[in-house]
Amino acid sequence: MLALIAREIRDQFVYIGACCSLSAIMIGSAVSLYVWSMAEGLFLFSAVLMSVLFIGFCVLGASQMYADRANRISVLLSTMAVTRSRILAARVLVGALTVLVSLIPFVITIVVLLQIAIPPVKFYSRMVWEISASAILTGFACYCIGLLIGWTSNKSRLILGTLLGVVLMTSILVAKGFGPSVMLLLLLFIAAALTHTWHKFTSVSL
Amino acid sequence: MLDNVIEVDGLVKYFDGRCILGGIDLKVPRGCIYGLLGRNGSGKTTMIRILLGLEPPTRGRTLVLGQDSMKLSAKTHGRIGYVAEGHHLIQGYKVQRLINLCKGLSLQWNDDFFGHLMETFRLPMDRRVKELSAGMRAQLNLALAMAIDPDLLILDDPTLGLDTVARRQFLELAIDVIQRQGRTILFSSHILSDVERIADRIGVLVAGKLAVDCALEDLKNRVRKLRVIFPERAPQDLYITEIINQRAEGREMVLTVANWNQQKKAILDTFGPESCTETPMTLEDIFIECTRPASAVVPQESEV
Repeated sequence: MLALIAREIRDQFVYIGACCSLSAIMIGSAVSLYVWSMAEGLFLFSAVLMSVLFIGFCVLGASQMYADRANRISVLLSTMAVTRSRILAARVLVGALTVLVSLIPFVITIVVLLQIAIPPVKFYSRMVWEISASAILTGFACYCIGLLIGWTSNKSRLILGTLLGVVLMTSILVAKGFGPSVMLLLLLFIAAALTHTWHKFTSVSL
Repeated sequence: MLDNVIEVDGLVKYFDGRCILGGIDLKVPRGCIYGLLGRNGSGKTTMIRILLGLEPPTRGRTLVLGQDSMKLSAKTHGRIGYVAEGHHLIQGYKVQRLINLCKGLSLQWNDDFFGHLMETFRLPMDRRVKELSAGMRAQLNLALAMAIDPDLLILDDPTLGLDTVARRQFLELAIDVIQRQGRTILFSSHILSDVERIADRIGVLVAGKLAVDCALEDLKNRVRKLRVIFPERAPQDLYITEIINQRAEGREMVLTVANWNQQKKAILDTFGPESCTETPMTLEDIFIECTRPASAVVPQESEV
């Protein structure tokens, strides 16, 4: 399993690196905005940059599946001492780690900045948790969209699907806001998307 | 210990409504070197891919090392070496990286044997797989498949793209693997002299059916080509069963027949032929006769 994870990270290094770099840029910009006393613009700024990051997650998922199909990677891997389920598990694990590594530091930074802002932004109990969890779940849902649409050989369908998926996820977040209902909706979507991807990946001809 | 390493039972495969495999039954015993033959598009690669779980069957059951092909465990996968037609290696990887990956994903890795193979093939480790020639890719694929010391080695047209020297090297290596006790090999190739050299059992796929499935020597003994000269025009029908091919021109008739025996000879004698000469047949001759569009199916061993 470790060999599969290492292979996945190395193969997708550009996309994983891009997501992490974007996260670092976002943290740096957020801190700069705060230092320059533009704390009121933090929310809008965060939302815009996070949407870009969500596109990055979607592209990562799509790239993992598209590269696999185009280069017939799983054909070789699945003739070794691994199963298709393990190949997919390693892939999803790398995706989930990328989402967490990219989003957690950014979310923590935003929360800290909002807490130390003058005048301080008032939080209700569990607000930090709900915002963080919703953001991470949305990021992972975007990644799952990438997995779903990446298993195609049609590039235009791939690009269109990525954009539509991110728009859909961001719209849900904008319409419903952060909270338990969105989290439940995202969890259901993620479960359905992963189940569909797993079923397709383990039963389709390679 | 399993008696049959491969068991295929009523295997049917359709692609876009087209029947590729129409009910295959096959058993490959442990230690057997099975040569799977057939013309292009006869379903050899499809059958091999189904056996490896790369392709789901439409109907039927395939067992490899005692497990359903579509549910092969990682451990069972690790006991199967596979050299694919076209050599599906990850093209963007450098040779060394691909070797490291395969080594990392294998259950066992025979460093000595792999080192010996790499020394023989002299593959450049720092080049990308896509930069290698077809022959080099075949050699790399073969070395990777053999390094895991497989219980079952599946070779799908492995010598495709190899020059004569590399092909000979490959065959020597294959024989080396064969000589290691208990190894089973399923070997598909268009180069029948190669198959004839190493296989001890033969299967011929014709239009999605397994037309022949028997020991190589048995096949050679059972299929006969006869040149029969009649005093007058050759008869239209000889009333002999199991005729694979029959061509008549004037007084001469060339007849390929399975399970030639005294009974069939007696029937032929009733037509009063002037002469009947037997022509020796190589595996290639038998294959050509069996895969001619008009040819009848040769009965399988169990039916004899």
